[in-house]
Amino acid sequence: MLLARAGARAARHRRLHFASCVAAAATFFVARAALGQEASEWLQHAAQAARSLTYTGTLVYQHGGRVETSRVLHLADATGEHEKLINLEGPPREVVRNNEQIRCYYPDAKVIRVESRNSRNAFPSLLPQQQETLVQYYVFRRAESARIAGLETDAYVFEPKDGLRYGHKLWADSATGLLIKAQLLNERGVPVEQFAFTDIQIGAKIEREMVRPTFAPPPPDWQMRQAVPGDVAPQDTGWQVKDLPPGFTKLVEGYRTLRGKPAPVAHLVFSDGLVAISVFVEPTPEVPQQIGLSQEGGVNVYSRQLKDHLVTVLGETPSATVRQIAYSVAHR
Amino acid sequence: MGKFLAEQGVGRPAEATEPTPEEVSQLMDGELEAERVEHACRGLREASSMQTWVCYHVIGDTLRGCGGLSPGFAERFSARFGAEPTLLAPPRRQTAPAAAALALAASVAAVCVVGWVAFTTMSVPPAAVATAREATAVRAADARRPVVNEYVLAHQDYSPTTPIQGVRPALRVVAADGQDASR
Repeated sequence: MLLARAGARAARHRRLHFASCVAAAATFFVARAALGQEASEWLQHAAQAARSLTYTGTLVYQHGGRVETSRVLHLADATGEHEKLINLEGPPREVVRNNEQIRCYYPDAKVIRVESRNSRNAFPSLLPQQQETLVQYYVFRRAESARIAGLETDAYVFEPKDGLRYGHKLWADSATGLLIKAQLLNERGVPVEQFAFTDIQIGAKIEREMVRPTFAPPPPDWQMRQAVPGDVAPQDTGWQVKDLPPGFTKLVEGYRTLRGKPAPVAHLVFSDGLVAISVFVEPTPEVPQQIGLSQEGGVNVYSRQLKDHLVTVLGETPSATVRQIAYSVAHR
Repeated sequence: MGKFLAEQGVGRPAEATEPTPEEVSQLMDGELEAERVEHACRGLREASSMQTWVCYHVIGDTLRGCGGLSPGFAERFSARFGAEPTLLAPPRRQTAPAAAALALAASVAAVCVVGWVAFTTMSVPPAAVATAREATAVRAADARRPVVNEYVLAHQDYSPTTPIQGVRPALRVVAADGQDASR
């Protein structure tokens, strides 16, 4: 009798314990889903502000001990987005964007490069699954408030939970949500790249004339380098990454044409919701390429020879991540 | 101290095999597995491996745009280094804490070992170095930046943070282009 009662009590306890575990797990997942949604909404808000506001300011870009200052004008009107960026130091450069089309002007070389951006990705509306992945691998939190370029801003941080990702610290204007400053931080919390406005007027009056290229139409002796339509034609390339860092999923796979490449190049893109990593595979080019690690601002690039192919992996991640991927690319 | 270690190398075990060029490259990039490092370093005492080591460094230096040393530098350095009186310990300084002095001594010793081994075993003809340097400089100027830029441009299309950055990521490419735009 006594034993039976003790057994029943133990069973009840087990049930209770099980129920509380389920509840805790549910709370955890709900909390994570909510956090993921919060992070995603914050990103969408910043993207919306970047797209819909008209502003002009001075932008300072810092990377690897170098500092470059540019003037930026952004006009949002009924026809969409028009943006112009002029560097203020060194040989003059001008970048003009009209919605998806980007033109880079190099007056000293008399060259114009025309690029088309992928409109599909103009909005980071993450799927619930991606939102959860985001907070599974980053701690998203509000940091301090700070005054930057004369504006009150709120800093938000995506802090990586492992060493395979950079940290992201983003300062947004408290009133409009526009990104005023952005840092990529390495594992020691040291910025590897930074964009920051030193002065900015949001809602400034900008005429259409002011965002037109200085050199339009280009003088006849200028060389026009038109990019081949840059979209990846989705298809199975037979290439795969065997040791993909956790949290990264494939966004797209296919072949694309790149300027200076005689044959189409296999291009695979992976993302953890915040950054993307590209894998390019092509037959070994005739002109020897640099093998190993290099950097373009916050983007790490790793190239290696894989039998008769050249594998190039790049992304806004620590060098170890692109290297790990480069060494695990294989053909099925 | 450097001489002592270098001489020890003469009596190396017979089974020591030379590292492959891949291993030399990995060693330079810090990518060689820890357990292979010692073996590879031992193998570098072979003239051909040392030649690969030197050649790869010349290529690396040229790609990074560092000027090379004048031909025959190693021989002249070796001669002068050999003529220097042997310094058994760094001069004691009252102000330097013991730990810092020890660290300094250790790093000086390490430089001596690496330097001595490299300079005494290196017998790469200057002409070969010059040729490698020239060829690499041409390739670096021709190929590197614009190609990497094409990749970066294609990649940025897909970067989820591009929409909140506006045209700013284009700065990475424009900044990197520098004087290479004309190529």
